[in-house]
Amino acid sequence: MDGENDKSSFWKKNVKTVPGRPSPKRDGKTSSKGKTPTSTSFQDFQASVSDAWDMDDDEFCVISGLENTKISKRVSQSAAINVLNTHRCTTEVESPPEEQVTTDKQLLPNCDNSAKVNRIPGRPKQLHCLNPPQEEDSESKLERFLTLLENPPSLQELCKLSWSGIPVKVRGITWRLLSGYLPINIERRDGVLERKRKDYWTLVEKYYYTEHDETNRDIQHQINIDVPRMNPSIPLFQQKTVQLMFERILFIWSIRHPASGYVQGINDLVTPFYVVFLQEFIPDSSSFETFNVTELTEDQRKIIEADSFWCLSKFLDGIQDNYVFAQIGIQKKVLQLEELIKRVDEPLHRHLKQHNVCYLQFSFRWLNNLLTRELPLRCTIRLWDTYLAENDSFATFQLYVCAAFLLYWKEDLLQEHDFQGLLLLLQNLPTQSWTSSQVSVLVAEAYKLKVMFADAPNHLQSNSGDS
Amino acid sequence: MASATNGGESYNFKVVLLGEGCVGKTSLVLRYVEDKFNSKHISTIQASFLNKKINLDGNRVNLAIWDTAGQEKFHALGPIYYRSSNGAVLVYDITDEDSFQKVKSWVKELRKMLGVDISLVIVGNKSDLEKDRHVTLEEAKEYAEKVKALHFQTSAKLNEGVEDMFLALTQKMLDDAKKKKAQENLLIGQNSQRTVTVVDDEAETTKRGCCGSN
Repeated sequence: MDGENDKSSFWKKNVKTVPGRPSPKRDGKTSSKGKTPTSTSFQDFQASVSDAWDMDDDEFCVISGLENTKISKRVSQSAAINVLNTHRCTTEVESPPEEQVTTDKQLLPNCDNSAKVNRIPGRPKQLHCLNPPQEEDSESKLERFLTLLENPPSLQELCKLSWSGIPVKVRGITWRLLSGYLPINIERRDGVLERKRKDYWTLVEKYYYTEHDETNRDIQHQINIDVPRMNPSIPLFQQKTVQLMFERILFIWSIRHPASGYVQGINDLVTPFYVVFLQEFIPDSSSFETFNVTELTEDQRKIIEADSFWCLSKFLDGIQDNYVFAQIGIQKKVLQLEELIKRVDEPLHRHLKQHNVCYLQFSFRWLNNLLTRELPLRCTIRLWDTYLAENDSFATFQLYVCAAFLLYWKEDLLQEHDFQGLLLLLQNLPTQSWTSSQVSVLVAEAYKLKVMFADAPNHLQSNSGDS
Repeated sequence: MASATNGGESYNFKVVLLGEGCVGKTSLVLRYVEDKFNSKHISTIQASFLNKKINLDGNRVNLAIWDTAGQEKFHALGPIYYRSSNGAVLVYDITDEDSFQKVKSWVKELRKMLGVDISLVIVGNKSDLEKDRHVTLEEAKEYAEKVKALHFQTSAKLNEGVEDMFLALTQKMLDDAKKKKAQENLLIGQNSQRTVTVVDDEAETTKRGCCGSN
């Protein structure tokens, strides 16, 4: 009961007196018109999302370098920073370009992406229809990572840098560090890796290649029918060797977590780790999608498998209640998602309810598979950068990502006027052409929601029917 | 559920597909709704929704189909999908005896929870794999008859029996809906008499309650 009082007083306070804090109501209005956030929230987030700024620095280099024009990196960078600083000072007098963005969005569906990119908090207004920048591969970011990783990095700094995307070249090691599998202390690393990898293979010997009892036979059966069906469009996953590696990882994880055991969908959560660790052994030029894993040495395959297992284990530790009986963790989050949308975008919530769409019907899969089924694999990997950088708070953060994901499609959803249309759209959201830019927008929006609710500890628990 | 239009009537039926993992539930629906087949379907998480509009004997029928996940783990959420369903498609794989046992346990659960309000069709899928058959047609048919369910053999791969199966189920749901409606009309005819009876019953119960407590 006390909690409820706190909450209602929070809402009053927040709406009326916190200067510059975007109120949920106002935010709903702006996004319903398809415009960029107001200048108030822009300044807010400029201050709070300093990591988003880091990302933009890099992207900006790419954007500002004209095609076929060679500019030294240093020059382009300093130019970019100048431009950024100018924009920082002049953001308030920039409404005309916003209108253009809206128009473009209506006329040219392909420009949709860049229009949305422009909505990243803290990003200056941009030209339309630029090719999506590849922020992870920008060299200055890679350099920053390399400098940071040279010495034992502070985990906090590593998280901050990783949050907005990790360059491919250092992704493997960074993921190992972020998931807590690889120690920060450089001298300890080799020893730990060697021991952990050996541990995994001992587990495999002991449990995978032995007689199973009935429960374990069921688990193994389920894994064996799911793994061959994974990612049907990517040749890599059709290879028997790869499927066997997945089957072992999932089975060992499952018997070590008897409270949940293997649940359909966890197989998809191995994929990002597997691909990232595989990429460490693939020559730069070749694509992992068609790579033949038998070209690797046995030792290399063993490393990929063991590391995927340990990182998956660490990763799932934070969301175990998603997979226990009746999947209460997910059911709870579905309710929280509903509660959140009701608060930040009442019209959308009402629209869904009016057509009898239940949140469970579409968001269960989002939460169970952490959006892996909704996004192309390259985007999932980029999304994992942020998830891993969120560390312990990733379980909650994921909820905000789902909310941001739903809000992203608001305009399209409002166009649908029956249950069928809504549900078919929600189950098949058109993300095929997404790149990491859209994921960056998504996590930035999620971050915004997180900040908005950060000091409202009870906001998600209020299922008490008061609203 | 039904609304009158000129010439025929419109119906909305909810249909749920249940059955063990990898027996071909998604393949059946996709074959029926989109006439597509892919031997490698990704496993379904929880449930997905599809719909199909058909015309049957001049009646316009909209089928809202829920294709559910096969894993036992998701079973706890089953009621959300079969509750208020008009029909259920219970799928097994003719090469897998266990999947047939799973159908039996679904039948039990559905009959227990919904009685005869739901039309059932039991479907032996993968009939193209005849050489690996483990569930005989006789056994399955006999069981279906016993539990008052329809039975079909299908091959989503070869597109055999799929359309027939969905049509037969729809016909059954349509018949049931019409029967139910006729009954309701009959009840409306006896409306006044019935109301009196109910009041009488209640009065009696109350009286008896009073006596009992004295």
